[in-house]
Amino acid sequence: MAALRASAGRVLASVPRASRPTIMLARSMASMSEPTPSESPKMKTFQVYRWDPATPDAKPRMQNYTLDLNKTGPMILDALIRIKNEIDPTLTFRRSCREGICGSCAMNIDGQNNLACLCRIPAAGASDVKIYPLPHTFTVKDLVPDLTLFYQQYKSIKPYLQRDTPALDGKEYLQSKADRKKLDGLYECILCACCSTSCPSYWWNSEEYLGPAVLLQSYRWLIDSRDEKKAERKAALDNSMSLYRCHTILNCTRACPKGLNPGKAIAELKKMLSF
Amino acid sequence: MFTLKEAQLQQSTPIPLAIVAALSVPMASIVRPALFRQGVLRPAFKPGIIQTGVRVAAFQTTTRKRVLPPLPLNDPVPVPEPSPSHGSYHWSFERLLAVGLVPLTIAPFAAGSLNPIMDSILCGTLLVHSHLGFQSMIIDYIPTKRLPTIRKLSGWALNAATLLVGVGLYEFETNDVGLTETVKRVWNA
Ligand code: SF4
Ligand code: FES
Repeated sequence: MAALRASAGRVLASVPRASRPTIMLARSMASMSEPTPSESPKMKTFQVYRWDPATPDAKPRMQNYTLDLNKTGPMILDALIRIKNEIDPTLTFRRSCREGICGSCAMNIDGQNNLACLCRIPAAGASDVKIYPLPHTFTVKDLVPDLTLFYQQYKSIKPYLQRDTPALDGKEYLQSKADRKKLDGLYECILCACCSTSCPSYWWNSEEYLGPAVLLQSYRWLIDSRDEKKAERKAALDNSMSLYRCHTILNCTRACPKGLNPGKAIAELKKMLSF
Repeated sequence: MFTLKEAQLQQSTPIPLAIVAALSVPMASIVRPALFRQGVLRPAFKPGIIQTGVRVAAFQTTTRKRVLPPLPLNDPVPVPEPSPSHGSYHWSFERLLAVGLVPLTIAPFAAGSLNPIMDSILCGTLLVHSHLGFQSMIIDYIPTKRLPTIRKLSGWALNAATLLVGVGLYEFETNDVGLTETVKRVWNA
């Protein structure tokens, strides 16, 4: 944030002095400008899951932080950043893009897996906001889950183009507009793991069941007209555990913060393998 | 000082502990002060805990369960052998049974006639359908990885139960009024 302020300062160097402070404050990330005296404070309490690997014997606990929403940005991530900056620097969470494109800030907010940067802070007065790490993951610290297995599973479906025939023009693999359209709603996945960690089947059998996110990606490569390893890709899913532990619970589709439909992708996979 | 990789190596190398200990003796005198200081600062890294090799990753609470799979961190998970009889064929068969049950259930009541053959087909389908359903529940909730014995036992218990119900239904069909007629009578009673 310091860097951001500095660059803002440089950009605005030519702006007349009087108008500078307000612009700069509006550009800062988590905190907003000081409230005008007439505004009454809108207090909100955030209950945040805390666990520190330095004291592994201490049980995880919920810690309360109260913020004035008038001074906080609109999203949960703004609140977390403000807590870390101004109240408790030991609070640990992942974030990067603050616009729902990197998938780092996935966490369980008020019982729903979501991206903190895309989730609005509910209006003041309502009950406390409860923030936990993604469910059924091993916790590295506070809100940071261990996603090693998730990435290893993603790697196992070979998420890249596999083909032997060279391109016709020797340069690019061409695709019709209709074929490209099939990838819409699939390529947008940011691998945040919100869907997989909301799936009861994945909770019970994550060692063997691949989970919605990875299956969505598997489907994305299976229907890509340029890919030539369809039979191998299908064979890799054709066993009792990898795909068929899905029982169409559809928590995945409900959870996806990008509005994708992993449940439908899995249904298409099952159809593909059967007919 | 004690990275993940080292932890995994320590767990997987088959070198006897004695040799490891012997090798580490000359080093220990140099390292110990640093180790000691760390130990004082961060009780999590007590030398005793490290040597037992129980904890795979130094930053986890979970001690006995394997926190990370015993693979190099960047390797993909193994892909199981394809077995369509447990995969796609199994799935298609399940759907076929479930869809087939709808007309089989309605037909005898709609037609009004009681055909013993239709009745036994209905019984058989129902039996296999419920067997597969229960099997699915066992696979879901009693993972082989965690509860291998209980998984096997419940599998056999299910087989036995299905057999028992099968025999019971056979007796009922051959010596009594049959399923559809029973439902009719109970309905009207
Ligand atoms: S499908 Fe949605 S919820 Fe699942 S990993 Fe992709 S973006 Fe996240
Ligand atoms: S910070 Fe990148 S998705 Fe939320």
